[in-house]
Amino acid sequence: MSVNGQSATGPQESTSPAATGATPSVRRAVIVGGNRIPFARSGGAYTKSSNQDMLTAALDGLIARFGLQDERIGEVAAGAVLKHSRDFNLTREAVLGSALSAETPAYDLQQACATGLETVLGLANKIKLGQIDSAIAGGVDSASDAPIAVSEGLRGVLLDLSRAKTLPQRLQVLSRLRPKDLAPDAPSTGEPRTGLSMGEHQALTTAQWNISRESQDELAFNSHRNLAAAYDAGFFDDLLTPYRGLAKDSNLRADTTLEKLATLKPVFGKGLGAEATMTAGNSTPLTDGASTVLLASEEWAQAHDLPMLATVVDGEAAAVDFVHGKDGLLMAPAFAVPRLLARNGLTLDDFDFFEIHEAFAGTVLSTLAAWEDEDFGRTRLGLDGAFGSIDRAKLNVNGSSLAAGHPFAATGGRIVASLAKMLQAQGHVNGRPARGLISICAAGGQGVVAILEAA
Amino acid sequence: MSPAQPVILGEMPSLSKLYVNAAAQAARRRVLGTHGGSTLPDAGHEVRGVRADVGNLTAYQHLIGLSARDTLPAGYLHALAFPLAMSVMNRDDFPLPLLGMIHLSNYVEQRAPVIFTDLLDIEARVENLRGHRAGTQLDVIAEIRGAGKPDIRWTGRSTYLAKGVFLPGIDVPSPHNGRPDFTPPDPTAVWHLGVDTGRAYAAISGDFNPIHLSVLSARALGMRRSIAHGMYLASRALADVGPMKGETFGWAVTFDAPVFLPGRVALEITTGQAPDGTWQRSDYAAWNPRSGRKHFSGSVAPL
Repeated sequence: MSVNGQSATGPQESTSPAATGATPSVRRAVIVGGNRIPFARSGGAYTKSSNQDMLTAALDGLIARFGLQDERIGEVAAGAVLKHSRDFNLTREAVLGSALSAETPAYDLQQACATGLETVLGLANKIKLGQIDSAIAGGVDSASDAPIAVSEGLRGVLLDLSRAKTLPQRLQVLSRLRPKDLAPDAPSTGEPRTGLSMGEHQALTTAQWNISRESQDELAFNSHRNLAAAYDAGFFDDLLTPYRGLAKDSNLRADTTLEKLATLKPVFGKGLGAEATMTAGNSTPLTDGASTVLLASEEWAQAHDLPMLATVVDGEAAAVDFVHGKDGLLMAPAFAVPRLLARNGLTLDDFDFFEIHEAFAGTVLSTLAAWEDEDFGRTRLGLDGAFGSIDRAKLNVNGSSLAAGHPFAATGGRIVASLAKMLQAQGHVNGRPARGLISICAAGGQGVVAILEAA
Repeated sequence: MSPAQPVILGEMPSLSKLYVNAAAQAARRRVLGTHGGSTLPDAGHEVRGVRADVGNLTAYQHLIGLSARDTLPAGYLHALAFPLAMSVMNRDDFPLPLLGMIHLSNYVEQRAPVIFTDLLDIEARVENLRGHRAGTQLDVIAEIRGAGKPDIRWTGRSTYLAKGVFLPGIDVPSPHNGRPDFTPPDPTAVWHLGVDTGRAYAAISGDFNPIHLSVLSARALGMRRSIAHGMYLASRALADVGPMKGETFGWAVTFDAPVFLPGRVALEITTGQAPDGTWQRSDYAAWNPRSGRKHFSGSVAPL
């Protein structure tokens, strides 16, 4: 996998970052703002709330914040990773249950944990091309209200029963039913092709890149500290609507310490040759929640007297061959980011904020280690050497998934809205718009990354 | 020795009848104190015009973890030929007891793809009776051709051991010094095998050998619990290697320790690729993630 055969990612070739206006033939897509509900640990405040309930709640808050009642939005796209088959039109149903005009079209999208960011990129592209003027991107997931399927045995019997025409045929089909067929089939976080859970996969990668327990705990500690500080500073006041009694992410432990994190027992990678380093503290918990982002053309935002926080500059998806361990399951962003930056003539030094989704602390640290590795840069990225390193002071400065939690499809919207607000606050840096990088890994060995700039 | 003309059977033999017959034969030999001599039957068995059942094929593909394509998987062709192989070992002039035989290894050459609608001629014979440090082993050769066609599209060599059976005139090789050391690597996959794994494969393959079906039936044959079919395990490993192997390949597996059910099996698959990314071979090894004991290993490579 080379960066399109380019080696233009070296810092020497990027004295004039060319991201802004690199594509003058299309118009800009801006982020107006976002709204989410606080994320709740599974089995907590949202236990009885469905995906549609939570997505509607997040949407209601967005509509209220930006005065979108009766507005016909160009298109709404959202999705859920754990989705019941009856929710095939989840997003359209949420729109119909909201104050938006009933003439607002909507579609569902699913790309595992990258769902939320992919809805932003897809809708931003439609705006850039002039197909729509406004859009709402989003995502929702409930680990508490997860769909449970009937067993394959029962499913086969029920389907054959519906096709049987005579009583003897029906009895014959029913006679196939066995007691074990009545056991339900709950969703799991296991990869279908390997049978390993996401945590077990990450444990292999964490060991491969020699990521220490201490560095993972430190990343988790920073995530909680930064998220708590952001709440204290009122950062989320215009990004969040309370729901079901929650006003803050319930996973946040403002008082956690490195010492407390160090006492936790490893939960993943216990059977490996290397020391097990991944704990419940440096891994994200199962979480419920929803997020939304309002996107628009500049004209639409101006006509509606709405703010423009940031522009969606570009995005890139990647996937890795993880099935036989060539790369780690969650390492696709390590390839997507170099390709994206090469296309935009940028290096890691040209960014003011890095939002690297903390699926596990080990995921973030393995990605950074890969970028800093000379051999990985040469042999896997096709570069002259290491891709580069980032200033850790710019990483997840208002906390990320380890503290906030990670309702799979809702994470993209959380990050996009927060980063857009941070970029707007930063304004211009060295005569250019403040710039942020988003990196989200996803099941199936996938990853989606994006560049945002202050509008 | 050129093989004799095969005996043409009118239809595919029934495995359940073969198992019953084998049990009866074992009892007869035990009572009469006779055995079947020290040579293998020359003649093989053949069935002509066999066609796969599409429903059975789909069930097999889903059980193994394959998408239901129209091409017959190499492991499915083994299952298709298996009753014929069993019928040869069930002949009165076959010198070893069929029940309790241990599958040591298997090598398959998939020389041309077979589609489920193809009419097939299937032949099986036994050869290469030889000593083993723990008993007597032999090879069962199965060949599959298009009906009336000379070219072999699939061939399999299954090596079985009759443990504790030593025939007169067959030398026993000196025991080698223990099994080679196996250090489990980090797995690339873990299989969670339910207690019904053996029954599920039996229902599809027709191989109702009691050691695979339940704790009770396995105990009756001296096993402490039921065990997974070797070819189920090897076929899943082949499926996990993925489509990079193409339509023709050689597929080898050596069985070590049996997989007791229910249980977990850890697996490592390593892929050899040329610098330009071309697939060269895949090697697989499976072991018990708790004890580290190796269950089986093998490889898939171009012919």
